[in-house]
Amino acid sequence: MQDQLSAVLAKATAELPTLKTRPEFEAAKARYVGPHGELTAFMKQMGAVPKEQRPALGKLINEAKVKLQAQLDAALAQIAAGELAAQLGPAVDVTLPSPDIGPGTRHPLTLVREEMCRILRKVGFTVADGPEVETEYYCFDALNTPSDHPARDAQDTFYFPTAARFGNVSRMNPGEKYLLRTHTSSVQIRTMLKGPPPIRIVSPGRVYRRDTTDATHSANFHQLECLYVDRNVTVRDLKALLDYVFAALLGSDTKTRFRPHYFGYTEPSFEVDLTAKHLPKVKKEWIEIGGCGMVDPTVFEAVGYDPEVWSGYAFGMGLERLAMLLYGIDDIRYFYQNDLRFLKQFA
Amino acid sequence: MKISLNWLQDYVKLDAPVDEITRAITFLGFEVEQVIRTGAPQLTNVVVGEILTRAKHPNADKLSVCTVDIGPAGGVKTIVCGANNCDAGNRVLVALPGAILPGNFEIKQSKIRGQLSDGMMCSPDEIGMGREHSGLLILTHKPALGLPMNEALPPGDVVFDIEITPNRPDCLSHLGIARELSAWFKLPLIYPQENFHGTFASGAGERPDLLAGVRVDSPEDCPLYSAHVITGIKIGPSPAWMQERLKAVGLRPINNVVDVGNYVMLETGQPLHAFDARKLGGHQIIVRRALDGEKITSLDGKERALHSGMLVIADASRPVVIAGIMGGENSGVSDDTTDLVLECACFKRQSVRSTSRALGLQSDSSYRYERGVDPHSSLEAAYRAIDLIIETAGGSVVGPAYQVGGEVPWKREIVVTHGFIGEKLGFEIPEADMRAAFEALELAVTREEPSDHRGTAWTVEIPSWRDDLDRPIDLVEEVLRLFGTEKIPAAVVSSPGLPGDDDPVVQFNRRVTDYLVGHDFHECVNLTLRPAAEVATWTSQTAAAELALQNPFVEDQSHLRPTLITGLLESLKLNQSRGVTVSRLCETGRIFIERNGQNLECAAVGFVIADPIGERSWRGREPADFYSVKHHVEALAVAAGVQLAARFVKPVEESYLGWQVGHAASAGELEQGWTARFGLLNLAMVKSVGVEGKVYAGLFAILPENLAAVSGRRRYADFSLFPAALRDFALVVDLAVPAAGVQKVVENAARTEVGKSFAVESVNVFDVYHGKGLPEGKKSLAFSLVFRSSERTLTDDEVNAVCTKIRQAITADGSIALRA
Repeated sequence: MQDQLSAVLAKATAELPTLKTRPEFEAAKARYVGPHGELTAFMKQMGAVPKEQRPALGKLINEAKVKLQAQLDAALAQIAAGELAAQLGPAVDVTLPSPDIGPGTRHPLTLVREEMCRILRKVGFTVADGPEVETEYYCFDALNTPSDHPARDAQDTFYFPTAARFGNVSRMNPGEKYLLRTHTSSVQIRTMLKGPPPIRIVSPGRVYRRDTTDATHSANFHQLECLYVDRNVTVRDLKALLDYVFAALLGSDTKTRFRPHYFGYTEPSFEVDLTAKHLPKVKKEWIEIGGCGMVDPTVFEAVGYDPEVWSGYAFGMGLERLAMLLYGIDDIRYFYQNDLRFLKQFA
Repeated sequence: MKISLNWLQDYVKLDAPVDEITRAITFLGFEVEQVIRTGAPQLTNVVVGEILTRAKHPNADKLSVCTVDIGPAGGVKTIVCGANNCDAGNRVLVALPGAILPGNFEIKQSKIRGQLSDGMMCSPDEIGMGREHSGLLILTHKPALGLPMNEALPPGDVVFDIEITPNRPDCLSHLGIARELSAWFKLPLIYPQENFHGTFASGAGERPDLLAGVRVDSPEDCPLYSAHVITGIKIGPSPAWMQERLKAVGLRPINNVVDVGNYVMLETGQPLHAFDARKLGGHQIIVRRALDGEKITSLDGKERALHSGMLVIADASRPVVIAGIMGGENSGVSDDTTDLVLECACFKRQSVRSTSRALGLQSDSSYRYERGVDPHSSLEAAYRAIDLIIETAGGSVVGPAYQVGGEVPWKREIVVTHGFIGEKLGFEIPEADMRAAFEALELAVTREEPSDHRGTAWTVEIPSWRDDLDRPIDLVEEVLRLFGTEKIPAAVVSSPGLPGDDDPVVQFNRRVTDYLVGHDFHECVNLTLRPAAEVATWTSQTAAAELALQNPFVEDQSHLRPTLITGLLESLKLNQSRGVTVSRLCETGRIFIERNGQNLECAAVGFVIADPIGERSWRGREPADFYSVKHHVEALAVAAGVQLAARFVKPVEESYLGWQVGHAASAGELEQGWTARFGLLNLAMVKSVGVEGKVYAGLFAILPENLAAVSGRRRYADFSLFPAALRDFALVVDLAVPAAGVQKVVENAARTEVGKSFAVESVNVFDVYHGKGLPEGKKSLAFSLVFRSSERTLTDDEVNAVCTKIRQAITADGSIALRA
């Protein structure tokens, strides 16, 4: 009996590792341990064995059974591994480039705009938006721009014919002429007219000037303006905001300074210079970056805020100019040509 | 404008270094665009010498050895020189050992080719006077030997080129800038002293043969007109000091009378004009509007056509000056002029500005009138000019002078408190400093008294030249300017929380850009203004007309863009033409769509997928097709809260210019608030704009106000955990029938037949086939239907029973058949 068991085990040891597929395996498994299997046959013989020999024989059969099961498990594991291996092709060359195009890139103006908006959001500014086609009221009148101011001249501002109608751009006065906004300050006016203070907004967007295009000018460019209206807003608060914004953008060694200036919609008004290390291609120590000031009481009156109660500041800058400074770009026209060799540099 | 430091010194004795003065001007609020130094720099050990002898250098062909007398203190030196003009007898500048020349070039005693040299004789560029290097600077005026260089040469000057902000016309003059600097440096301001003081009459003067009358017909355009008559003058060159100053600030000296006019304008800011009295027809001055069609030849020699909106100074018969802008050729001062009429006037800013713009003619005079000339200090300028005319051209004034207007006295006071200024600034400036700032700027404090809760109140008298100061807030700026904007104390940014979110359009742009960039698109920025022809081919002639600007600046940027696709095509073309492989580009931004005669400004997102011309890859990828762009447009619509349901989607028709019929679709109309176009761009159009290969594109546009309405939160719908039953339906329809229509029929039939017993979870097309095995002109559409109950496992029998009914319903009208 023992010899017979050993023979069966030896046969299994020889056969099982050669099996390649699950059906083969199942067939082999049935031949050994199935209802009509060879090992099963031994167990069936147990009844015929004298009682005193049974424990020893039972032990022998059990040992054989355990050994056989281990071999079956090993064979099955080998087949499963073989199945997985069959799903693979030959090894890949990991150094080959992906044939898929990409990745996509954001435009540098978007990158700079979003970074500024993120910085400003942290101190409570939300991003406002408004129409690019505007009317004289929102672009000029409400911003304390006299009716004969040169900025309103057809020489400097794009107008639409009197008959032009823009269905979803509201006019303050009937018959007002439509124009392309020359600054995003019109968004400030529309925002203030929508509701009472306090207000803290940043309005980035396209603006238009009748200007000759060259390396530093474009008839179509982008601005970013901030407006904060509340009680007791001061010049010092304005300076604190700009110190914060540019330090967040350019690093803590960045400094800003104010120079007195003149804008119709702020009083006092300032031009803002900054100095920062690591700015590419900057030769001067101080670089002019934008304009700002305390909202002129006339502007508050135009939108129905009481200037005795409310005060505020506004700040504006050109996004292209900022992007040019940050990245060291020296021709504004590159922003609108969309050469992929340009676009792929910034993402 | 240009300001000469030498000239400024007449009114304020500045002893600060030039850098300090530049900084002062900057922080007073005037941008210094340039600082120009004229004349020689201060150099020591450079003196006047005379060449006594010149001999050829024994060891060098091009060098000479000279002996040079540098006066009793220095004696005679031997100097090697390479210049051609080191001839004996010439007086030159000699840099002696120890001198440090510009460029940090130190002069030492040295041996040149074996010959000892005690210094260097200098060319102009070597002493920092221009670029002349071809020869020595010869001092033809023979200054004394040994005289230090800076005493021998005319003194230099520093000229500041300053940008004056439009609110400060008073600073368009040396006196104005001097006033600001005197306040900054706390130095007294020295006014020029006038000897002449006029008397005025409104009737005839003493010499009606020279000037018989002055009349102002248009007083609203000319609040003040004065005319002095000066006889017996002699035209000649103005004195050297005056010419020097005029040249320093960029003016060309003409003659004594014209130069005085310019000089006084640059000193005081008041433009002046001198007539030759003989040339005034009828001895009359009439300030009036021009007649339509009237002509004048201005001093620059150009004939100019005038109209009735323009103000002129006329004599009895014709215009002689375009008021405030430029004189005529016919009335000016000439070499033989002996009798003058000196005009000193104020013209309305708007009048001068509109005339100047209309004529395209600007002058130093019009520049000042446009920004505002103070009528209350005008006559001072006239007196000053008369002093200088008499000093430089002789003559005498015939009095009294004519004056029309100018009667309204000036008086303005502003009351401001210490507390108010502090509240606006957000930091403390001592009371004494504020008061000192006012007074330094000649803003006299006429009263000082305590106020309620806001500290000292000052009544500040505003001088007539500071018309820009009108409210207490204006004085805050004055105090801050003199305090110094550089000294605003730092602070932590305070941000008391405000509820609010970014504008829906901003959020939309962000979402769609994230999506497209995440799908390998490169974001572009194109100009909003497009050429007329392109807009017309993309929309229609009538729509294009509505989108036109009234005053385009350049021809190819005349219309608002009605789509983002044309800009992206241009970007494709640019990259292709530069040999850069390009395929996926996208853009967000405003577009303008004409509907029923009015334009609608829309938020839009667009993208293109072009054949990647020139791309070679070791492994090919499936190219994009209509369904790729449809997929992207659906995703973009979702970002706007719009489900691009199949029922909205229609094939494009011929009228959708720009798109390829049969290969592109449209969805939505702006009347519903949004619109989309996607598919293949018209092959001929793409070719005609110069883009190679096929271009698939997509555009989604929505009215901003509709984006704002997207805020609804979805409700959760419960779903079943029981197994689904799947059944496939193969249907045969005409080739041209759109799948969505058939799907609708299947869905409706399924829902009706299932009723309430269980649910039709989904109906999807999974196969489209036409060709062999099907009749001509037919196609097969295979749908997969998923049924499920929320309460139990469905049995085959009940599902089969329903499907039989569904098949009957679908095929009932005969247009849809079951595939055999």
